[in-house]
Amino acid sequence: MIEVGRICVKIAGRDAGKRCVVIDVLDSKFVLIDGQTRRRKCNMLHLEPLAQTVKISKGASRDKIVSAFKDLGIELREKKSKKPAAKPKKVRKVKPKATKPVKQKVVAKPVEKKTEEVPVSKPAEPKTIPKKKAVKKVVKKE
Amino acid sequence: MPAMRFRSRTFRRVFVRTPGGETKLTYKKRKNAKPHCALCKAVLPGVARGTKTQVRALPKSARRPERPYGGQLCSACMRKTIVAKARNQA
Repeated sequence: MIEVGRICVKIAGRDAGKRCVVIDVLDSKFVLIDGQTRRRKCNMLHLEPLAQTVKISKGASRDKIVSAFKDLGIELREKKSKKPAAKPKKVRKVKPKATKPVKQKVVAKPVEKKTEEVPVSKPAEPKTIPKKKAVKKVVKKE
Repeated sequence: MPAMRFRSRTFRRVFVRTPGGETKLTYKKRKNAKPHCALCKAVLPGVARGTKTQVRALPKSARRPERPYGGQLCSACMRKTIVAKARNQA
């Protein structure tokens, strides 16, 4: 029942329930499989053979297996490339240039306010002085 | 008299030795029950067990087996269901 080109369902492990093709029969126990699973050695006891077969040669390449599965109506997922696409970040550099002149204008306005605040700050100083006197009184009592 | 919620055995009792040298009784939550196979009711190996917060703190791959139906069916029952599915379709 198990020969090269036989479609099987894997029964055991993390690939259980996935379809695969027998690529090579290694010995009386083990076969080489590929398909929805990774290309790997597999125990025959961990495979459930189906009625379907595919015409592939022994040790067929991945591309041929992908096309063979397409004929059955099963599309195989391909691995994603590990290199991420480079993203240009020029937009951020432009923004600070626009904000710098705005900051200078903001600095100029508070200078006018500070002149107004100066008389307000003077009455605030005498408030702190009586607190110091209170401390001195406590020292005298001791 | 302990608080009313502690009078049944819902919480487990743990004796704790305090820094002052006394032993005090504290009440802690019990572990969840062991998970079982949904078909054959056997105890599932390889499934994390503890209070809910302890299990949630583990990575997902440490909580249950990685295969399909992992943590729900035992491996033998999982094989039977997948084989039956494959034979019905073919």
